[in-house]
Amino acid sequence: MDFDLSGDQKILQTSVREFLNKECSKDKVRELEEDERGYDIEMWKKMAELEWMGVVFPEEYGGTEGDFIDLMILVEEMGRYILPSPFFSTILSSLSILEYGDEGQKEKFLPKIAKGEEIWTLALMESSVTYEASGIKLRAIPEKEEYILEGTKLFVPYAHVADRLLVVARTSEEKNPKDGITVFIVDVAKTKGLEVEVIPTAAHDKQCEVRFDHVKVSKDNVLGDVGRGWDVVNFIIQRGAVLKCAEMVGGAQAVLEMANDYAKERVQFDRPIGSFQAIQHKLADMFTEIEGLRYLVYEAAWMINVGSPSDLLISMGKAKANEVYQRTCIEGIRIHGAIGFTREEDVGLYYLRTKAAEFAFGDTDSHRKQIAIELERS
Amino acid sequence: MDFKFGEKEEALREEIREFAREELPPGWLTVMLEEESRDEDWAFAMSISKKLSERGWLTMSWPEEYGGKGASLWEQLVYLEESGYWGIPGTMMGISGVAWVGPSLMMYGSEEQKEKYLPLIASGEPDGVWCTGYSEPNAGSDFANIQTRAVREEDEYVINGQKTWTSAAHRARWCWLAAVTNPNAPKKHQRISVLIVDMKSKGVTVNPLVNYAGYHIFNEVFFDDVRVPESSLVGEENRGWYQLMTSLAYERGSLGPSGYGYNKRILDELVRYAKETNLFQKHEIRCKLADMAIEVEMQRMLVSQTTWKMSKGEMPTYEPSRDKVFNDKVQERLAITGTEILGAYSQIDPLHRDSRWSKLRGCVESLYWLFPGISISAGTDEIEKNIIGQFGLGLPKSY
Ligand SMILES: Cc1cc2nc3c(=O)[nH]c(=O)nc-3n(C[C@H](O)[C@H](O)[C@H](O)COP(=O)(O)OP(=O)(O)OC[C@H]3O[C@@H](n4cnc5c(N)ncnc54)[C@H](O)[C@@H]3O)c2cc1C
Repeated sequence: MDFDLSGDQKILQTSVREFLNKECSKDKVRELEEDERGYDIEMWKKMAELEWMGVVFPEEYGGTEGDFIDLMILVEEMGRYILPSPFFSTILSSLSILEYGDEGQKEKFLPKIAKGEEIWTLALMESSVTYEASGIKLRAIPEKEEYILEGTKLFVPYAHVADRLLVVARTSEEKNPKDGITVFIVDVAKTKGLEVEVIPTAAHDKQCEVRFDHVKVSKDNVLGDVGRGWDVVNFIIQRGAVLKCAEMVGGAQAVLEMANDYAKERVQFDRPIGSFQAIQHKLADMFTEIEGLRYLVYEAAWMINVGSPSDLLISMGKAKANEVYQRTCIEGIRIHGAIGFTREEDVGLYYLRTKAAEFAFGDTDSHRKQIAIELERS
Repeated sequence: MDFKFGEKEEALREEIREFAREELPPGWLTVMLEEESRDEDWAFAMSISKKLSERGWLTMSWPEEYGGKGASLWEQLVYLEESGYWGIPGTMMGISGVAWVGPSLMMYGSEEQKEKYLPLIASGEPDGVWCTGYSEPNAGSDFANIQTRAVREEDEYVINGQKTWTSAAHRARWCWLAAVTNPNAPKKHQRISVLIVDMKSKGVTVNPLVNYAGYHIFNEVFFDDVRVPESSLVGEENRGWYQLMTSLAYERGSLGPSGYGYNKRILDELVRYAKETNLFQKHEIRCKLADMAIEVEMQRMLVSQTTWKMSKGEMPTYEPSRDKVFNDKVQERLAITGTEILGAYSQIDPLHRDSRWSKLRGCVESLYWLFPGISISAGTDEIEKNIIGQFGLGLPKSY
């Protein structure tokens, strides 16, 4: 066993941290929350120049041939700096193109993504706000060389600025709700009948409602096989969950550091509050949980990387990350006292993102259920 | 033993429910700490204060001469529970008027102060709204460490210093201020006095401090050569600390019954939501609702026990701290579990509670974004637990 990052991975981590430290201050985060677009175009370009978008692509598609661990490292740092960006949804979409796209689709889309020329996102969730197949109600009806999409998607990140959407639709009603699902690639600029509205979330993180009113999509733009789209969705949820965990580890680590620093500085009753056992034990608990979570998530990512079955570990990671990230933020605020409750102090910014992270790619109960299924099977 | 309310209390409960049905918009729910933030909410709260005053409920347990009804603590308990449950706004007169300025003035105030300020609070008018100026940048949990000075000059006090986290200072007419009057006293606790300051005085500056979710709850307040008449002193000079320990108990104690009522409402709303959405079929949801129901009922017992003790004429000691910590615990559970039940819908901006994506009028997410602050205010959980350890369990002082 080896818990260390490799030399190259360490270099990557340092360079990402240095970049975000410079480009993504908390004032920038606050500014982007108020910004209509919700991300910084100049920063996006620089990220593309640093070859972050194509980190896991083969060279032929403009990538740098990195692996899943590299991607995880990137995302963990983004979580640490709570970078507001469509990077996550774009990268996750591109992973599914890489896995399920045909050669033509790969050649057409991946190089553009690698260059930062296109923003992608996933239109998955609907009014049930779960990741269960039965929640997919948006209909896609075949008509000659096209499909007609009708329905509404919810909490689609950055749909208001996206160039392309991956849309999960129902092409037929089958006994098993996992059957009859198909994933479509929708070109926003060329499509009529799409309506996007930004949902006012607490984190101002630009999640959208997307309404499909008689939207026509060519049959060429099916990703994977018709009727077997659940495989793609499942792949996206699994990969999305691990990466979301990495983001949450980064966020929790940042909050821990802030709270720890504050506990050393803040004096009450003539001593630093960190010398009170109540505070020290809180921090010790947070610290232990975050370390444990980090290795759980690294293990899951490593399993993916080496191609071992990883579903159990991914579910363990997400269920735990949901709990740890939230607990760390709540206690982080409390350690700061009233100042932690304000807009000026950074810890609140992390807290505002707890719910978005928790419900992305499976809530705690859904992952617990998955774990139990795996345990029963073993 | 008897765990039933009397007929008088039950009749009052019915009256308050009818009031809530008549006066509040359909489906109304509020969140603690919320009413002072937006102008329209505040205006509505004040209009309700006035009506509560007209019914004699606002300060019901006060003697009639000061605008009360001489109601029993049990009647007051029922009133506070119901006001929490229905989210009746405007029950506090700022953050402090009803719950601790009034009772403290009755204990320590001069006749002149009682006659002037108590009826104002009881009137439900804007001139009866108070804020509380205890905390300072270097005096939070360590409240005795305050630096704001009040210097006697002939028949006036001249006040200089800064307060912070002052809730509702931007709404208040008066400040219930703790200041240092004897900097040379051998102990920090012997330096402090309580003064009443007119917020309209020259030299008072109020700056908003905005919460991370966008609420304007508290402020920083600067006092720059603010002059108040010597008659503004409450009780004895340099005995302020000891007076305030009593009023802090009132502050914490007042949170219990309305906190319970509010929590019960959130629980009921979640149950209703679970029924409407078929979530009730899920085993894990049933367990969560059951756990919350246990704690909410426990809370009802605890706050009632505190009232019972007081109704026998005993002074509560550790009980207000116990009830405060317990309320924080229940609210944390309701907020976390409630948002789990609502799922992704619980991330809506609490300032957009009317949006079509909000469930239950946003009451659960508002609680989620606000409960950490509620748990810090009026003494953090760590401080309350220190008090419980020391005064409830007789343990040595831990800090
Ligand atoms: C929403 C809100 C409204 C408020 N309204 C008012 C108001 O109207 N008027 C007013 O005067 N103040 C108000 N306050 C301030 C409140 O009273 C203080 O925030 C509180 O007393 C804590 O002080 P602090 O914020 O300075 O935290 P600190 O005292 O700095 O505490 C920081 C951390 O250290 C811990 N700690 C400190 N001492 C100990 C110890 N001995 N043992 C163990 N742990 C310890 C605390 O529990 C906390 O976790 C409000 C605060 C909030 C959040």
